[in-house]
Amino acid sequence: MASRDFVYKKFSEFYSNPSTVTPQLSMIGQRELGFLLFKERVMVRHKSFESMSSLKRFLSETVPSDVYHSCAYYENPEAEMSKKGWLGADLVFDIDADHIPTPCDKVHDEWTCTNSKCGFSGKGITPEACPICGGQKFETKTWACELCLEAAREETAKLIDILEKDFGFSHQEMRVFFSGHRGYHVQIEKDAVKTLDAMARKEIVDYVSGIGLSILEDEAKGKTQKRRRSTPFHLHNFGWHKRLKLGLQSFIMRATKDDLKNVGIKGNYAAFLENREVLLKRCIEENRWDSVRGIGVGTWRKLAKYVQSLEAAKIDTVVTTDIHRLIRMSGTLHGKTGLLKVEFPAKSLEDFDPLREAVAFKEGTARVSVSEAPEFRLGDNTLGPYKNQVVELPTAAAVLLICKGRAEVAQ
Amino acid sequence: METGRFTQTDLAKYPFLKETAKLVKQLGLKIEEVANPDMAVILNRAEERVREAILSISVGKKREANVEIPSFPVALMLVIATKNSFIKRRYALAEAKQAFSDMQAESSEKILAIARDFDWNIELNRDFAVPLEFAVSFADYLRNTTHLRDKKWKLVNRLLANGKVYLNKQDVTRLLQEEVQRRIEKRLEATELPALPEKIVEIATRLLELAKESIGQEEMEGFPKVVTQSAFPPCIVALYEAASKGRHLSHIGRFTLTSFLVNIGMSPEKVAELFKSFSDYNERLTRYQIEHIAGERGSRTRYTPPQCVTLQTHGVCVNPDALCRRVRHPLTYYKRKQRQFSSSLPKAS
Repeated sequence: MASRDFVYKKFSEFYSNPSTVTPQLSMIGQRELGFLLFKERVMVRHKSFESMSSLKRFLSETVPSDVYHSCAYYENPEAEMSKKGWLGADLVFDIDADHIPTPCDKVHDEWTCTNSKCGFSGKGITPEACPICGGQKFETKTWACELCLEAAREETAKLIDILEKDFGFSHQEMRVFFSGHRGYHVQIEKDAVKTLDAMARKEIVDYVSGIGLSILEDEAKGKTQKRRRSTPFHLHNFGWHKRLKLGLQSFIMRATKDDLKNVGIKGNYAAFLENREVLLKRCIEENRWDSVRGIGVGTWRKLAKYVQSLEAAKIDTVVTTDIHRLIRMSGTLHGKTGLLKVEFPAKSLEDFDPLREAVAFKEGTARVSVSEAPEFRLGDNTLGPYKNQVVELPTAAAVLLICKGRAEVAQ
Repeated sequence: METGRFTQTDLAKYPFLKETAKLVKQLGLKIEEVANPDMAVILNRAEERVREAILSISVGKKREANVEIPSFPVALMLVIATKNSFIKRRYALAEAKQAFSDMQAESSEKILAIARDFDWNIELNRDFAVPLEFAVSFADYLRNTTHLRDKKWKLVNRLLANGKVYLNKQDVTRLLQEEVQRRIEKRLEATELPALPEKIVEIATRLLELAKESIGQEEMEGFPKVVTQSAFPPCIVALYEAASKGRHLSHIGRFTLTSFLVNIGMSPEKVAELFKSFSDYNERLTRYQIEHIAGERGSRTRYTPPQCVTLQTHGVCVNPDALCRRVRHPLTYYKRKQRQFSSSLPKAS
């Protein structure tokens, strides 16, 4: 409990410190605010605030572990859901390493079967079922390594590219945030998108994810539903077709035999590997897709399907289509890490260092007893790995490990 | 504002335009006068509009502008007076379809003017690399396509660049049809009626009778009370199995399953039973959530499961079969499959 108290104290100091800057929440009076309470661990919803100063007072008095606001605007933000009077909602995208396959394979995550008779535990991606008792409920301890964050950044870059080139949003119109844990948020507050309903947002999700591309379907329905024919493969130079073309180009340039196998192409490797130039020029550039013997419609479609999965931005689909969603507020602390949700310009995504910019507790140290932690970095400090040892850590690192359930305050 | 974008003939052809409405206002048509004998030709034309809509989803042969223009608001009044949602939908659809067909012959400039009457952000395409005439903002595009079923309307299959969807005339007018239908439906929403002349009430009653004759029984049919598990669509089968084995279900998965079962007539108690094998089962909470979805608590809305396309987006749609291809909602699947079963059963005597 002492550890929880320690974190609470740090959060409390942060929210009462007059030098803490909480960025302005646009249209604050029309939004619903929600808070996860530290001690009670319950969610308090349907709150609203007239101004930032009243919200800040509330934060310093209540000290929530997590602060959320609605993407939606309401006539009565405090009313129950059906009486709120929905006026519109920002268009939001959530990219979280949880939803993305990452090169680290999440080796740093731990899971424990919650079956009281079993309690088996392991590392890595949580299995569907416990290998010992077959139970399907687990308690997990996650971690956000640099590879996870990098994977999330790459997905965010793809998303921003699609939103900019295809949807025409400028970098100024896209507000980009590090979530304070394992991912990024992109938020658009433009009037033209505020009134889009859930179905319209679903179409945007499908676009960003490349879901429903008819060019990737093997068969198209003929005029009479019974007769089926293979649709010809042809790509034009716009929208998703252009993305597929660019993706195919870069795949063809660097593909190895193993890559081809992975994509599911059988046998005709030579036709492929010896004809790269022709494939690039005649097929892709000149749109003569059947000009290499042995590489037909089926092969192109397989390649294009693979490329689609590479080009798609892997967002959490549910977040974008939910027009009442609560989302973490910028400038507040994440209860699972003690890191801040921070905004940064879309154009600096490449150079943004989340493990530096999101650090909230920059002063002091604390002695903690660490059960287990991989090597990690916060700002300029590279720390760990630790196993069953007592160490003196910078405050931010101590808070992170405690929040992650990997350490306790040393007695 | 631009005025004179439309001629008198245009206004008669497209009576739903804001400009036509303005003109009608200037005419100062009064409800009480509609029943006057000298207005008979207008009233007849108005009745014809609605009758043709009910019978054949069309609006009948056009007349001169001075009859055509006032007959539209009178027709709206007749439809409102029927207080029948089928007639309302049907009439809006008929007018919209007529507009779609009339627009085929219009110039690009006229199409632009009509689209702008609906506040569209639309322009003529000046990019010669794209062989399509119009460029429409993606928001206007989405507002009018999410109900359309064919895959070609999915945004992902469209030319989207810089926030604009490139379209040909055929497609733009098809989207405008949706826009027209919505605008008319909106005007038909009025529930507060002024005292109507007897003549109007009489015609409305006649139209209502006509509609009742031509509405198929199918429209009125609800779900039979028996739950037929073998008629579940594949997505529900998968969710049902997962739930009965206590496997973890996503939030949307639980919602889909619960709302489906509640809608086909399973009792909340029975549904709660299904979730018992979950390791995080909490009877009170589960009952509350199910009753909420069933509309017995909270907002009193009974929720229906999401449409097929939504389930696809969120990865709930699995193993679609032949029937899936012909429906767009899991409940429709169930209804159809169940009907197939009952028609193949030997009749009991």
